[in-house]
Amino acid sequence: MNAHPDLDESRLVEALKRGEQAAFTEAVSTYTAGMLAVARYYVDPANAEEIVQDCWVTVIDAIRRFEGRSGLKTWLHRIVANRCKNQLRTSHREITTDFSERLEPELDSRFKASGRWATPPKLRFDESADALLENGALSDCLDKHLGHLPENQRSALILYEAHQHKSDDVCNILDVSASNLRVMLHRARQKIFLMVETFQETGEC
Amino acid sequence: MLMCRELAGIASDYIDGELSTGRRLSVQMHLMMCRHCRSFIGNLRASTELLRGHSSARVEQSVIDRINHCVTEALSHRPEAPDADPDSDR
Repeated sequence: MNAHPDLDESRLVEALKRGEQAAFTEAVSTYTAGMLAVARYYVDPANAEEIVQDCWVTVIDAIRRFEGRSGLKTWLHRIVANRCKNQLRTSHREITTDFSERLEPELDSRFKASGRWATPPKLRFDESADALLENGALSDCLDKHLGHLPENQRSALILYEAHQHKSDDVCNILDVSASNLRVMLHRARQKIFLMVETFQETGEC
Repeated sequence: MLMCRELAGIASDYIDGELSTGRRLSVQMHLMMCRHCRSFIGNLRASTELLRGHSSARVEQSVIDRINHCVTEALSHRPEAPDADPDSDR
């Protein structure tokens, strides 16, 4: 792990401002995944790639005015979000999401009418996350299930967990309220929980 | 009194420290008495940590290559004095 991420980011930003190709290659490799996660929240996957590609071309000039008020990652994610929102406004499309239920139906069915567990969690994950991920099959299974999550839940989870954005940033980037973000995160985590439980119990994905 | 189903509905908020003090204490009281919910919270937390250690948003190399090609092209045609762009970090 990098001991001085801020220092490295400021070096990268300066190199980007000088228009160094190697810096852009590094930045594209580092930040494209998160930018795609943002874009896929708003538009279909093919359109998302196109938007992210356009944003990178925009960044070549826009980076000169980057003043570091937010991190580079957050700035890039906001550019993508703004571009997507503009496109949605033009096409008069709206994001529709069900925020009414906090529990996944598969998990909900595991409770009695009294509210107690009928089918409690079957296993205890005693291993650390790193140890679990050493199992390549589980890692592949995680990829598969992440790919099958509804786009809004997937984007929220990736921005919050993998990219470690603060809640306020995620709400701003995805244009959702704090309470709706909580629902999206929880629904996505339950699906991952159910996936890991099945995998641990049966070895099947 | 908090029931297991209700606790399962707010488990992420508990893990992320997003509950009010009163609600958090209710959850903690329930967890002291219910091993199934302790197990659920522990497993949900472990599932969440899996994502932090996982390169959760892998992108195909072909996509990265295509974008890099495009950026390289644009850099080679970069004007001396670029036009103003609305995107900023303000």
